[in-house]
Amino acid sequence: MAGTVIGEGLSIEGDVTSDEEVVVQGNLRGKLTSTDAVSIGPSSVVQADISGQSVSIAGQVVGDITAPERVDIQAGGRLVGDVKAARFTIADGASFKGAVDMEV
Amino acid sequence: MSQSSVIGAGTIVRGNVEGEGSLEIFGRVEGDVSMGGEVTVSEGGAVRGNVAGEKISVHGAVQGDLLATQAVLLERGAKVVGDLSAPRVGIANGALVRGTVRTEGEPALAAPNKRVAAPAVFKPSAFAAKPVAKAEPKLAPPVEPDDEDDEDEEDDYDYDQQREAAVMPPARPKEKEPERRPPPPVLPSLGKGAKAKKKKHRD
Repeated sequence: MAGTVIGEGLSIEGDVTSDEEVVVQGNLRGKLTSTDAVSIGPSSVVQADISGQSVSIAGQVVGDITAPERVDIQAGGRLVGDVKAARFTIADGASFKGAVDMEV
Repeated sequence: MSQSSVIGAGTIVRGNVEGEGSLEIFGRVEGDVSMGGEVTVSEGGAVRGNVAGEKISVHGAVQGDLLATQAVLLERGAKVVGDLSAPRVGIANGALVRGTVRTEGEPALAAPNKRVAAPAVFKPSAFAAKPVAKAEPKLAPPVEPDDEDDEDEEDDYDYDQQREAAVMPPARPKEKEPERRPPPPVLPSLGKGAKAKKKKHRD
């Protein structure tokens, strides 16, 4: 089980800072920073800049994503914002609008 | 909708948290928490803000008011600075509270508050009386001087070992005296020339 779970039905307005895995299944508005993996679940609605070691998106996200390792948009995931990561994948069925910087 | 949420030990939330499910806080929340279900501030967890929920149990620290529709339970190790308000309020032995407590409806379980101040007054007098009584019997039977001596010697020995480098000379004779006493009681009284005389006699 992840260190931090923002469950379905939970809303946070503000900054979340963590040094462990964060799973968001609820709503978040503000900023999310973790030194570990960040996972945005299918049912979640996030309006926040997200920074994590790796970021996986299956829900709706509006905000910029930064990850030293990788960013993955899963099928059904929706991202509006810029992505900065060493690796970046967009699954079939995901939607994305924004710029990509893979430090080429 | 009512899924449980966890704010882990390494996580800090600056802002308000609200929802319908239950929430367990191992990390820090700087802001108000408002849940439809149960809120648990676990050991090591801290909240700086008001907490509202159906049932609130605290093992960690809260700086803010606790408002529950069912119960507020402060467990051992809890530190709360703020007001408590719920139909049932429980404060366990070992929980610390500064604030007012209001229980609406049913009678409170908050009696243990008094325990802190009252016994402290009586204890000193009780302790003061006992040592006097104990001291006399100790003085009465001084039948075991041997044991005490042994203890002293052991103590000296330990100290000597520790201080060997610096303070040896006066201490070592004490250890060796009891061993050497029986065989040569004569030697100390003899002068320098006496040894030679003795040898001559033996020869």
